[in-house]
Amino acid sequence: MASQLPRERLPEQDGNMGTMVGSPAGAAPDLVTQPHHRFEHSEPQPCQAPGADHDADDMDPEERAYHERFMREAINMAELALKSDETPVGCVFVRNGEVFGRGMNETNRTLNGTRHAEFVALAGILSKHPISDLKETDLYVTVEPCVMCASMLRQYGIRAVYFGCWNERFGGTGGVLNIHSDPSVDRPYPVTGGIFREEAIMLLRKFYVQENEKAPEPKQKKTRELKTEILPMDIHAPKSTPTPPVGASTATA
Amino acid sequence: MAADTAPAAPAVGQLVPLRTKDEVRASLETHTAYVVEIPARFANAVKDAIQDAAPDFKAAEISHLRRVVQFKYLPAHLQKQFYPPARLQRGICSNGDDEPSPASLFTPLPPSDDESCAKAEDTVRFFLLCPTRCFKPADLVAILRKNPPFSVMNIQAKLLYVTVPALAPTSAEQATQWSEQYWPIAYKNTNPYGPHPSLVARNTVEIEPESSSWLALASTAAAEISQLGIGEKVGCVVIDRTRGTSEVIAVAGDCRWRSPHGDAEAHTGPGNVMAHCVQRAIAMVAKKRLRMAGTNPTLLDRSLFCDVPLTEAEKAPYDKDNIPASGYLCVDLDIYLTHEPCVMCSMAILHSRFKRCIFSKRMPLTGGMTADTAGNPLNPGKGLQHGIFWRPSELNWKFLAWECPGAADSDASIADTVHV
Repeated sequence: MASQLPRERLPEQDGNMGTMVGSPAGAAPDLVTQPHHRFEHSEPQPCQAPGADHDADDMDPEERAYHERFMREAINMAELALKSDETPVGCVFVRNGEVFGRGMNETNRTLNGTRHAEFVALAGILSKHPISDLKETDLYVTVEPCVMCASMLRQYGIRAVYFGCWNERFGGTGGVLNIHSDPSVDRPYPVTGGIFREEAIMLLRKFYVQENEKAPEPKQKKTRELKTEILPMDIHAPKSTPTPPVGASTATA
Repeated sequence: MAADTAPAAPAVGQLVPLRTKDEVRASLETHTAYVVEIPARFANAVKDAIQDAAPDFKAAEISHLRRVVQFKYLPAHLQKQFYPPARLQRGICSNGDDEPSPASLFTPLPPSDDESCAKAEDTVRFFLLCPTRCFKPADLVAILRKNPPFSVMNIQAKLLYVTVPALAPTSAEQATQWSEQYWPIAYKNTNPYGPHPSLVARNTVEIEPESSSWLALASTAAAEISQLGIGEKVGCVVIDRTRGTSEVIAVAGDCRWRSPHGDAEAHTGPGNVMAHCVQRAIAMVAKKRLRMAGTNPTLLDRSLFCDVPLTEAEKAPYDKDNIPASGYLCVDLDIYLTHEPCVMCSMAILHSRFKRCIFSKRMPLTGGMTADTAGNPLNPGKGLQHGIFWRPSELNWKFLAWECPGAADSDASIADTVHV
């Protein structure tokens, strides 16, 4: 794992999706039996947003078309990132039905593992607009926000988050943790995943069959093949996380 | 149900390793298990009978618990509860090759000082069968009845109940404590739920002598920034110890109240979250690497990131070319903070692959590092319990983390509701 840039090994890009490469041993069977991203909380969550954690599949066609329009813009940013040898994650912030700012991952060029698309977009937006505008702003991002970005968005008071595919490595809005809805001093926000999920995954897979010169000890990537089959939804559903599998094999640090 | 007790307050400046999320869980979770008294020589037969009847039950689940225990090694409260122990009838132990009269085996005899009886007593053992969730009591009794020693004795097994830690201990001290509090523990000198105690001890010894100075430097950075009115009084320092001596790689204070134009803003709302001191320090490390590699570090600069040095404390380390261009993110670097970083910054530290994290003051309402609910004097019993530094089965990096209460000048100017 040490050879990977932070956004480099996302959940849904691995070659052998059928066996959930990179997930803790034994995780996959649980995933297929669980309804996706419906979280069970052992205790009432005081800050739980009503109606948080939606699936794009539950939307009516008109609503879906509205969100797909902005997710298309986010995908365009991710494609730009791919062309720039950056991890293909893109986002747009939307206010009053209009794109308010755009961003793409810049971790490779900046040598900075925190330069995620959300940071890049907000650095542009907040140089011209007050922070309070974010309370009426929604985020569309091709990959689920990581734990860091999920916390940042909550601290800023984002209104809602829409994303493409889940991030099983370090997703912060259901993929691994639930930073958007866990107890916090900040207001929670609702999240909806699965908008153009397959396209978001394919962009990541395209990136991972390329060489990444920045990463030390490069893995053998030339032997990797680009797989084009996208498996059913279940396998990409996030883990239910409150209790980690005890004794599961640990990542190398 | 809590198995752990609150540790004594550490001395000022002493490093206290943080407990991981799984360690906290391991120290809190207990469940109930069945115990039965049997002659020692039947232990394997009973073990096999349980395994055959419950193929899903993995003995490894209770491998941290002694399976077969003599009365005298039981914790005091269980000795009292299970007194008197069943014992072999006198005469059986003296010529053990005889097939004993089964019914007499478990006849409790009045306690005696007789030495041969004491020996006989030792041959009866308390056998830990399995957690109670594996069987209903009546089913378990029925299973035992079909197997030796009960099948040959024609008596009913008497089930006893004990509370045991659900997970393995993470240190020898904990194992000793649990052996007295719950049930004899087999400690394997490992920690499945966090860094090995010897690894933590070795690292503590390495960094403890200088940690107070780095935390003091972080305080200086915090004070300088807050005097300018552009940030909260929090700060951090990035140290490289890989070459024997310590090099200060970056120093950064908080810049959340700095406007895009560089002046101080009104202190309302969250401020510029992306200008927390950890974000600034990480960006400065990256810019130093770009500079060492001959790349213009101002490429992709954005004023909102506030990643240029702004104070005396920040400038000198930033200008020093003391970091290899070939390095990867913040691998092998340590970060010292005046306060526990917020969830965003905790994850930024993880994303950046830091080696060690040391902070002075806990932030129980906003901090992302701590996994327990020890809290602080203002908010005792509180904590978000994310324990981001060590969740290797979920997050793709892990590192060591300590708190150092009282070391940095973390006065009351930072409310517990602030995200550091």
